[in-house]
Amino acid sequence: MRRARPLLESLVAVGIGLIAGGALMLPFRYHPLKAYQALFQGAFGTPHDVMETLAFATPLMLTAVTFAVGVRAGLFNIGAEGQMYIGAIGAVFAASLLPLPPGLHILVATLVAMICGALWSLVPALLKIWRGVHEVISTIMFNWIAFHLATYLAIYYLAEPGRAERTRPALPTARYPILAEGSTLTAVIFVAILFCLAVYFLLWGTRMGYEMRLVGENPEAARYAGVQIGQALLWSFLIGGMAAGLAGASQIIGRPPAWSLYATLGNVATLGFDGIGVALVGRNHPLGGILAAILFGALQHGGRFMEYHAGVVSELVRAVNGLIVITLAIPELWTLVRRRLTL
Amino acid sequence: MGPRIEMRGIHKVYPDGTVALRGVDFRLGPGEIVGLLGENGAGKTTLMKILSGLLQPTRGEIRIDGRPVRFRNPADALRAGIGMVHQIFTLVPPYTALENIILGQEGSNLWLVKDRARDQVQRLLEEVGLSIPLDTPMELLPIGVQQRVEIAKVLYRGTQTLILDEPTSALTPLEVDELFRFLRRLKEGGRSIVFITHKLREVLEISDRIVVLRNGRVTGEISTREATPELLAEWMVGRAVVPRVSRSPHPPGEPVLIVRDLEVIGDLGLPAVKGVSFEVRAGEIFGIAGVEGNGQSELAQALGGLRPIHRGEILLDGKPLPALTPIEAYRRGIAHIPEDRLRFGMALNFEVAENSILSRQWEPTFLRGWGRLDWPRILAFTAALLQRFQVIAPGVRAPARSLSGGNQQKLVVGRELAKEPRLILAVHPTRGLDVASTAYIRELLVQMRDAGKAVLLISADLDEVLELSDRIAVMYEGKFLGVGPVEAFTREEIGLMMGGIVPQGRAV
Amino acid sequence: MSGFLSRLGWIVLAILGLGLLAYGLDQVGLEPISLLEAGLLAMTPLALAAVGECVNEKAGVVNIGLEGILLITAVVGVWVAEQFGSGIAGLIGGMVVGALIGLVLGLLAVYGRADQIIAGMGLNLFALGFTPYLLMSLWAFPGIHIFPRELMVPRWITPLGQISPVTLAAILLAFLAHILLHHTVLGFRIRAVGEKPEAVDVAGVRVDGLRLFTSVLGGALCGLGGAFMPLAWFGGVVKEISAGRGFIALACVVFAGLEPLLALAAAFLFGLTEGIAYAVAITPGVKERIPFYFVNMLPYVVTLLVVTLVIGRRRFPRTIGRPYTRE
Repeated sequence: MRRARPLLESLVAVGIGLIAGGALMLPFRYHPLKAYQALFQGAFGTPHDVMETLAFATPLMLTAVTFAVGVRAGLFNIGAEGQMYIGAIGAVFAASLLPLPPGLHILVATLVAMICGALWSLVPALLKIWRGVHEVISTIMFNWIAFHLATYLAIYYLAEPGRAERTRPALPTARYPILAEGSTLTAVIFVAILFCLAVYFLLWGTRMGYEMRLVGENPEAARYAGVQIGQALLWSFLIGGMAAGLAGASQIIGRPPAWSLYATLGNVATLGFDGIGVALVGRNHPLGGILAAILFGALQHGGRFMEYHAGVVSELVRAVNGLIVITLAIPELWTLVRRRLTL
Repeated sequence: MGPRIEMRGIHKVYPDGTVALRGVDFRLGPGEIVGLLGENGAGKTTLMKILSGLLQPTRGEIRIDGRPVRFRNPADALRAGIGMVHQIFTLVPPYTALENIILGQEGSNLWLVKDRARDQVQRLLEEVGLSIPLDTPMELLPIGVQQRVEIAKVLYRGTQTLILDEPTSALTPLEVDELFRFLRRLKEGGRSIVFITHKLREVLEISDRIVVLRNGRVTGEISTREATPELLAEWMVGRAVVPRVSRSPHPPGEPVLIVRDLEVIGDLGLPAVKGVSFEVRAGEIFGIAGVEGNGQSELAQALGGLRPIHRGEILLDGKPLPALTPIEAYRRGIAHIPEDRLRFGMALNFEVAENSILSRQWEPTFLRGWGRLDWPRILAFTAALLQRFQVIAPGVRAPARSLSGGNQQKLVVGRELAKEPRLILAVHPTRGLDVASTAYIRELLVQMRDAGKAVLLISADLDEVLELSDRIAVMYEGKFLGVGPVEAFTREEIGLMMGGIVPQGRAV
Repeated sequence: MSGFLSRLGWIVLAILGLGLLAYGLDQVGLEPISLLEAGLLAMTPLALAAVGECVNEKAGVVNIGLEGILLITAVVGVWVAEQFGSGIAGLIGGMVVGALIGLVLGLLAVYGRADQIIAGMGLNLFALGFTPYLLMSLWAFPGIHIFPRELMVPRWITPLGQISPVTLAAILLAFLAHILLHHTVLGFRIRAVGEKPEAVDVAGVRVDGLRLFTSVLGGALCGLGGAFMPLAWFGGVVKEISAGRGFIALACVVFAGLEPLLALAAAFLFGLTEGIAYAVAITPGVKERIPFYFVNMLPYVVTLLVVTLVIGRRRFPRTIGRPYTRE
């Protein structure tokens, strides 16, 4: 029962978010039921759609880890967006310009992206530890700096010759294998799940994770327990940066058909912010994040069908994401729900 | 003349299901001081918060001068002439006394003009005989003065019935005397006073009538003239007498801890501990008494490795301790029961097992290769700990939040004692606990002493210090005013020293 | 007080530094007047959002959803302006919607005991999707909408260049907020409620009322700032129109230690930075030499630098971000 409650709460929040999202369709004379039917049929209707949903879920479970591992250490790290841009740039560089043998190439490109993401999280981490600069401000500023930097690099140094709208594609040696003909789901999803599992193990199975969580739960008790608080925060940022970098890579070397970064960053943009909602629905747990990511992946993939069949702009699912987050922020709601259930 | 205030059949159930009051009757006449006595959690404060409009009763009625009333908020109660001084002050720290007194009654609707109110406030203070510096921010004033501001604030609203919640808990004995004189003056002026406390001595001294609460019910009511401490204690705790912890008399051994001329800087950047020297021997409890905020916290934090030492030295078993970290302190044999378990000692959302290794999480005993936690061993350790120290918990993997306060504290105490230390640093080890847990923890500390450990006890509870300690010191403004065997001091002398006065012939 | 002065000192220094930079740019063909114009325009939404948030945080309520309010009210402002055929109406519409969002967040924070950081972030995420949805649903065109020029709120021509009346309003509002906080009974109570809500409660003043009021006020000012961007500045609305300004405004608030006048000064500093970036990007002879992308980073880099260098032991209200309940 104790373990089931968070799940129930998340489901209720998702329900409320969807209903509120439906209410937003009414003033514009869209049909909410029709829209949601199209959405869920689109998301899960055929095996192919399920795979697409999983492909959409892959980066989300990673950017959710970025946020979750921050929250666990008491941070509100919303820098996944920028760290992901830089990770994607790193992946493009390593995958399209370094001639390496198959196998090794995938590994190097993945690692370069993760290191790039971690490096981009380093400055906000140090500013927090040394100067107490609040991470909400520093990571958002770094997101915007990353946006302009990544666009610049994509256009000036990594652009595909003759095609200004995107970067050079990853060389075939750096591409994760596609799991089924005609699908955009690649083996990178296994790497993503593995990463989530590793973070889960780290948080609950190691001294380092224990200390990170203790800092998040009660910093004064952490000091009393002899924890180096700065170090714990630094690791939280770096692991988050690695997750975001991997998310960036997953869109470059793990996502056909482009295998490259659009100059507008259109194929990675907002995935970092989406991760915040995913993490919260997943109760800031790496494994809960996987489940929540599949749900949000379904919304994103199915959203395209909603747009096609019901005319509702797919970006509405992002609004639903926000509504779910707002719902999850209200503890009184749960007291109410619980009272209704027990009466 | 009938009672001014009458509360009948008051029930209170908190939203989380806690039953605080189970049908309490209470009345208060004009010019009367009623002592409301009871243990922590007996419902005293809840009852009075209802009378002052801060809480609404689940059932029951309140009558004033015979007419039923309903208070929706504190403002309603104030209008009916009832005001409460809370145990945790409701003062705005950066505001001056004047600003705090007039808050909500500024005397104008738009522009803030403080000088108009100043005359009125001054007249009131003269009338009731309170002296308060009006233009100093609260955060810079001592607790005793802050309390006067609280009282003035309530009186400024024309209060006829004054409720005081544990008003002496942070005061020195001298300040308590002064407060009592003031309360008697108010009473002579026709005001009624409710005095909430758990201290028998005080209630017998100040009140006209005593009402005792236990577990949300009135267990006794008596005119103070007829009351005896034994009777009140029985009503309060339901048992005849709480047994005193027995101590075997035995000579103390070698000094374990020697502190020489220690100076520690506090949070405000000023010295909080100003050159303190003492030693704690094996097999003795050395108790430090004093009103809180006189450097005890900083002293304990320095010894526990949480605060750097500015000057002086600390020797453990004859060897000087260098710059300490909490881990280093533990390695050298210091166990630290911190002053506030919720703030320092544990993480409420962590499991019991996780809390049982807090501060030991780095120890190889609890780790496997690659920094992995050895869960089977941790769980076994926790289970043994719970059993050894009589901690009642739903399970080793239950969140610590699900334990009662007493069991949480037993968990922390047990965890520290299980470190097999040379020196035990116990800071307010029983504050806020129920009688049974308090007795058990005190017994454990004495057992440790009898087993030859050195115990440094820091407590604001004078009775606790006197009951447990072999030798004591009184700390005042960062210094020791008196050090010696517990028998060498009378209670009154200690009281004076807690207020900063060294009695005749008692030079340090 | 010394904190106030040292902060003011920092701002003056930074503005002087930027002035020097402006002089340098002047040598290569930039016009200082146009720089000031651009700076004041860019200052306006930052100042409005920051000043309102200062008052709100003084009362102990944090709204990190400023970015979301700016986004939503920008779109709504344009829509209202088109409905009524008046830019002024659009500004009012933005204020009203901003106030409503502030009210909702306030209700969640005060009665729902919501985690204000998460709720505010939820609002930002919501706006991220809702803005493009609105753009598409209202005008059936993805991501951008240009409205007729005559709906633009006219600027006043002064010796210092063209100045929008909204800019003057923002400056005035900063002073009014200062007066409100430090010289009125209401402000006296607002500051008290952030420090010690219990004190206000036992004094018979409603904690919830005060906090709802500041939340609505903050939302309204932010909404004016949101509607200002398309209607008195850009002449159109795009889906990411606020571009992080809500967070830069938060940086202003942090920097200012919740003092509205300092927040105004900080907003001017950041606005000037943006003005320089804008001027560099359009000035022939300069724009070719410095990549546009680096110029665009300037406001964010300066924000980060200022916050890092100047952040100090500034005291915030004790109960900031925490809901109040009687025990």
